[in-house]
Amino acid sequence: MIYLITIVLNGGNSFKKANIEGFWGFGGNQMIEFKNANKYYGDFHVLKDINLTINKGEVVVIIGPSGSGKSTLLRCINRLETISEGSLTVNGIEVNDKKTDINKLRREIGMVFQHFYLYPHKTVLDNITLAPIKALGQSKEEAKKTAHAYLKKVGIPDKADSFPSQLSGGQQQRVAIARGLAMHPEIMLFDEPTSALDPEMIGEVLDVMKSLAKEGMTMVVVTHEMGFAKEVADRIIFIDKGQILEDADPTEFYVEPKEERAKAFLSRILNH
Amino acid sequence: MLDFTILTENWDMYAEGFKVTLLCSLLALIGSFLLGTILAVFRIAPIKPLNWIGTIYVEFFRNIPLLIIAFTIFVGLPTLGISFDGFQAGTIALIIYTSAFIAEAIRAGILAVHKGQTEAARSSGLTYIETMRYVILPQAIKIVIPPLGNQFINLVKNSSILSVIAAGELMYQADLISLRTYVVFDVYIIVALLYLVITLPLSYGVNYLEKRLAKSN
Repeated sequence: MIYLITIVLNGGNSFKKANIEGFWGFGGNQMIEFKNANKYYGDFHVLKDINLTINKGEVVVIIGPSGSGKSTLLRCINRLETISEGSLTVNGIEVNDKKTDINKLRREIGMVFQHFYLYPHKTVLDNITLAPIKALGQSKEEAKKTAHAYLKKVGIPDKADSFPSQLSGGQQQRVAIARGLAMHPEIMLFDEPTSALDPEMIGEVLDVMKSLAKEGMTMVVVTHEMGFAKEVADRIIFIDKGQILEDADPTEFYVEPKEERAKAFLSRILNH
Repeated sequence: MLDFTILTENWDMYAEGFKVTLLCSLLALIGSFLLGTILAVFRIAPIKPLNWIGTIYVEFFRNIPLLIIAFTIFVGLPTLGISFDGFQAGTIALIIYTSAFIAEAIRAGILAVHKGQTEAARSSGLTYIETMRYVILPQAIKIVIPPLGNQFINLVKNSSILSVIAAGELMYQADLISLRTYVVFDVYIIVALLYLVITLPLSYGVNYLEKRLAKSN
């Protein structure tokens, strides 16, 4: 009985929240907006009626058990995956519209992957300058200048001429972040950016992400790093079985998650 | 003991044959590599009609004898008003035939490059073609070098079939020498050695390239 009431209350809460954000979004502030978005893999319902608005400058952390659909949700934003129903807009542009120039839209959205996916046959510098030169039409000199600036920003200015295989995991991930930033994107997506790293390297990557967040970058981060979420996230989205179950302030969420499944999830990841 | 006077007495013909085999193989190697790469990209492109073209091409030309392709070009096309000499027809036939095998090798190489590479490149705003050209193909080539080496060695040996359309290459010259001198065994052993002069360096070159590229990764 209590469980049922919790769900009802929570359902009401997230409804209210969506409305408020819709209101803020009215001022043209929203960067990413899912409206009644569903996704299926054949019979499998991966994303269930997603309503989510992310505003400019917000840092949103998505958490949830593995297989809950959190990465899929993230990957829909730059159309690495497509939604099956509903609407998804980025900067007011319908992502899945046939008329949308997806390459142009993707230039505005940087993405960082769990396994970095640096180009192994290219130097760090060439990794960073490839898209600015080819997709933005920057000159080589200009792109190199930008690349060096971002390498400095992520703390590895001396690695420009190294190959990815010569770098540690943490360094590779910081190169990947610099590669994303070099396109001057409006949004940065992070798909479990520290999950493939040795523990002692997680900090250096999180530090870069924190400084990025403080500079006002709009960020959507799938992560299990609760410290990061608490410190820099504006909102926490808890997702399970393809449904958004909580959309909460981080402090509220950690102190008192409303949803039973969120409680269970938190106790599992915090007490291991 | 091998009678090498055959070689010295017929040096001009052997040299001519060697030159033609080398030139024809080199042209066919470059041509089939380019055509094969394009066909491989066709086969995996996200555009259905291109897939069909690639698949039909590969399955057709891979599964018919090179000799028929050579005959068709040399004897069949002139009836349509397009004629080639033996060398041209032979080189074109080799390109058409070998590119089907090379397309398959390169396709396998492309598929062996991790999907994340494509995702990283596409999500940075690069187009499909740019992603292929700058990110996927350079990595696929490394994977593909050993099977590609086999194809190139086969190509050199297959060029011997072109003797039947008077392409003027090594095998053709050997036939002529044999008819003229009534010597069979020695003439063809010498030809075999001359093929080795081309294929062994090719084989070692491929091995060397493979090792060097493996090191750079």
